[in-house]
Amino acid sequence: MAIKSLSPGRGVNSRGVNGRDAAERRAAIRMTAPSLVLMALVAAVPIGYALWLSLHQYSVRTAGLSRFVGLENYITALSGPHWWAAFGQTFLFAGLSVSLELVLGTAMALLLNLAFKGRALLRTVVLLPYAVVTVVSAITWETMFAPNLGLVTNVLTTLGLPGGDVVWLGEHGYAMAVIVLADVWKTTPFAALIILAGLQVISAETYEAAELDGASKWQAFAHITLPLLRPAIVLAAIFRTMDALRVFDLPFVLTRGANGTESMSMLAYTQLRENRLVGEGSALSILTFLTVMAVSVVYIRFAGGNIREVAKEEQ
Amino acid sequence: MSTLTAQRTTAAPAAPGRSPKRRAPKRRLRGEAKLHPVVWVFVFAVMGFSLIPFYWLVNTSLKQGVSLSKGELFPSQPTFENYLAVFQNPEFLLALRNSVIIAVVTTTVALVFASFAAYALARLKMRRKAMILTLILSVTTFPAIAIAAPMFSIWREIGLYDTLLGLIIPKLTFALPLAIYTLTSFFKEIPRELEESAYMDGATPFTAFRKVILPLAVPGLATTAILVFISVWNEFLLAVTLTTSPEARPVPVAIAFFSGTSEFDQPLGTISAASVIITVPLVILVLVCQKRIVSGMTAGAVKG
Amino acid sequence: MDLIRPSSPLQEDTAPSQAVARTTALHGSSRRRPRAVIAVAAAAMAAGLLLSGCGGGAATPGAENAAAADPALAAGASGSINICGGKDASGIYKGTAEAFTTASGKVTAKYTEIGATTDEARTQAVQRLEGKSTECDIFLTDVIWTSEFASQGWLLDQTKLVEANMDRLIPSTVETAKYEDKYWASPFFTNAGLVYYQKDKVAKPETWQQLYAEAAKAPGNSFVYQGKQYEGLTVNFLEMLYSAGGEVLDGQGEVAIDSPETREVLDFMSQGLEDGSAERAVLTYNEDPARLAYESGNYGYQRNWPHVYRLLNATPMAGTFGVAPLPAWEGGKASGVLGGWNLAISAHSTNQAGAVAFIDFATAPDWQKHVAMDFSQAPVNEAAYSEAAVLAKMPFATELLASVKGAKPRPISPVYPQISQAIYKNVYAVLSGAASTEDAVKSMAEEIRTAKASF
Repeated sequence: MAIKSLSPGRGVNSRGVNGRDAAERRAAIRMTAPSLVLMALVAAVPIGYALWLSLHQYSVRTAGLSRFVGLENYITALSGPHWWAAFGQTFLFAGLSVSLELVLGTAMALLLNLAFKGRALLRTVVLLPYAVVTVVSAITWETMFAPNLGLVTNVLTTLGLPGGDVVWLGEHGYAMAVIVLADVWKTTPFAALIILAGLQVISAETYEAAELDGASKWQAFAHITLPLLRPAIVLAAIFRTMDALRVFDLPFVLTRGANGTESMSMLAYTQLRENRLVGEGSALSILTFLTVMAVSVVYIRFAGGNIREVAKEEQ
Repeated sequence: MSTLTAQRTTAAPAAPGRSPKRRAPKRRLRGEAKLHPVVWVFVFAVMGFSLIPFYWLVNTSLKQGVSLSKGELFPSQPTFENYLAVFQNPEFLLALRNSVIIAVVTTTVALVFASFAAYALARLKMRRKAMILTLILSVTTFPAIAIAAPMFSIWREIGLYDTLLGLIIPKLTFALPLAIYTLTSFFKEIPRELEESAYMDGATPFTAFRKVILPLAVPGLATTAILVFISVWNEFLLAVTLTTSPEARPVPVAIAFFSGTSEFDQPLGTISAASVIITVPLVILVLVCQKRIVSGMTAGAVKG
Repeated sequence: MDLIRPSSPLQEDTAPSQAVARTTALHGSSRRRPRAVIAVAAAAMAAGLLLSGCGGGAATPGAENAAAADPALAAGASGSINICGGKDASGIYKGTAEAFTTASGKVTAKYTEIGATTDEARTQAVQRLEGKSTECDIFLTDVIWTSEFASQGWLLDQTKLVEANMDRLIPSTVETAKYEDKYWASPFFTNAGLVYYQKDKVAKPETWQQLYAEAAKAPGNSFVYQGKQYEGLTVNFLEMLYSAGGEVLDGQGEVAIDSPETREVLDFMSQGLEDGSAERAVLTYNEDPARLAYESGNYGYQRNWPHVYRLLNATPMAGTFGVAPLPAWEGGKASGVLGGWNLAISAHSTNQAGAVAFIDFATAPDWQKHVAMDFSQAPVNEAAYSEAAVLAKMPFATELLASVKGAKPRPISPVYPQISQAIYKNVYAVLSGAASTEDAVKSMAEEIRTAKASF
């Protein structure tokens, strides 16, 4: 679309480059433009609009009446207890679920990388949860932990294990555990795939050399595999953390935010859509956005390298 | 995106099956090693963890009436009534059609857009590449709630509200970062020499991309297509905000609209049956393409 | 605002020239492509911002100067009307629309589902009303939405219409359509909580204390209700609070929830969860899980809505359970909380006459019988409850009428959702043991004050 409206011209580079360079740069811009324009239109415009709304206060009484209040909505949000509670709960959820996903994902990747009869089956089975609609998985986990009629509660009771008579989604701590579990179930395969990709890069020779040096399997894992897997793990961590920090459907379906499970997105949703506090709600969604953004920047700066890596060449 | 990491440790050609160097590790993988019993325990634990919720979902979908209110581990009177009810619901069938159209169109267009962008980012000289990549990545940090409400009012104004196109556009936007990242790393795996010779023959970057890179990137494109398809198929919040009629409503929303006999009634059996039905295409996709997904995501990563 | 409007590319009169201008500008600057890209993005962004920002600025008329619907309009009605509301689970909305179309002969009515849940339907309705959409002529409104919608000037004043029908409507249901001395909707069907009890295990409860004492006697006697953190918990709590003589807002609209009655009820409820009179799992129950749990036969009492009657009758439990109005508080009286749905005419409706005709039809005594017989909903017409045909289908109609007449509305306020959140979040905190009664009551009162201040 937009690509056609941009007729070819001369290169913009002033650093005296040859014709092919210029042609490349031209082509590069034409090739990225459609995606960038689309993202600017469809993603940035609504965010800009939300930002604008967040600087105003809207009358709940009179439709359309608003006044500019600057950062007041942000100050209200940041000085009240609700934002910080949701902030802490979201980070707790993200921390728990992402670290479990990384540990389990690494273990899963190691299994998936083994050569044995049934590997294809294992790989298929492990991928299945990733394909399930989140709302469906939330409903499934809700019924699995339902008191008296759920699978988990029933099995625990039958086996005489503790937890059978616990109202999982009705207790602090337990409710968070179910939400984390539901998230881990659905997204560990994603992490495992990324880590598997990293794992397959490590050459057999590296291990053979280690074996010759008399290293045990564990030593080989700790000193060779893990360090070489680091970039893959970090990448999985970035994608998963950003998703986890925006979590909405799981607590929305499972607890409605009760028992210390209200997330930042849920809080923004409540203020925006249930309470029609447009200014306050927009401020909360911008705060959520900034928080996620900040975390991703921290990741990329201190642990990442993938982006720099990709961008490094061909400047 | 998985193979962003790959280029650090490998310089091996990506094209699967084209390099003789791949033979050694391949043979090693084919030799089916005997697993330690403890490892088997882990294998079964992982499989169990993945499958048990599916079992419960299927179990629930086979129950009706009183059976639903008991926690039977095996349905005492299994019934397919729920499935019949779902297939007799014209709105669900319509939703299925909508979802297929939305997912297929979005995936196709996303691949076209993203492969151009990814090629430029992976291969061509370009200024501010890091910034562009960061911007693309930042789109994945946008909370859907902040986007959905403003988009509703804009879409109403321009008549895209409650249309399939109105859903395809935002879903496409949010699928692009994932697609661009995945494809960029695939393209980086493809050996440069192949293009160089094309350039020698006087090809433009476009020609080089079309004639040389694309054919080699088929596994990467397949993987990306699957990832995008899954994410588009599953998305809920935008779908529920931007549609109102059965003519535009996709499957996840239609499920939420399944009604029991009262406004408070949550027909668990029917919802479960419908969930099973919409999960089946994805399960088949995974079954058929398991090799593709795994090898695609790790394409070029096998070092000889 | 006027300066902004013409620059919007979506205004039909100016769009073509604007589009041409932009395209030209683009080609003109095509030598510097990166900037062109940024410029396109920036222009589009600005356009979008301005476009969507037009909602701000001038205030639109509120409740004070809303237009009024004229009952006389119904006679000359023609054309088509669109009724919008939540999911049509019992089939009553589509059924009424079809019956009306057939009966009228001149007006065609169609029903559009705009939300899966009550919350979603409200959000969707609000989005349409704020956007001055003409898509819907009539909105199905929950009884608790009236104040909010009316205060925004979104609805047509139905005072004349309601007053003309006043004699055939149950007074408490009419009250739910009132805001600032005017009526903004016509009641369509109503709802009130009932207690279902296992006749072989427990007695019909006269008081809440009796119910809890009976429930505590054996594990199979316990009570299930809706205790999840959501609107339903507000209803369950208020049913007890009202019967204990407490209130949320007093006659002057001041916050009155910080009272001994509130403390008493909260202590009673959490004590019940501790000693097993009430099943602890209610902390995760809304209506349907409560019904499913009760159907397992492991409980003695259930608080739920009338629709459960039909569902229970379809199980082996048929005949073993009784239906009673909500019990009284010891030393107090029985009370309930009124639910139900009203018909409101959108201020932006393009067929007010058709909408009035539809409301006339839907609230008429004749159709109200069908509301009970065909859809198991509680009519707003008192005479319907004593019809033999209704009693045959709904044997508990007498109990239901008593409950409806004794029920009180939830706090009437345009910020009701916030008030309800303040209630159910704090009640939940007490029930789940996360907060003490004293702290919860204090913060409940405080949060309701804040909510009222935001208005």
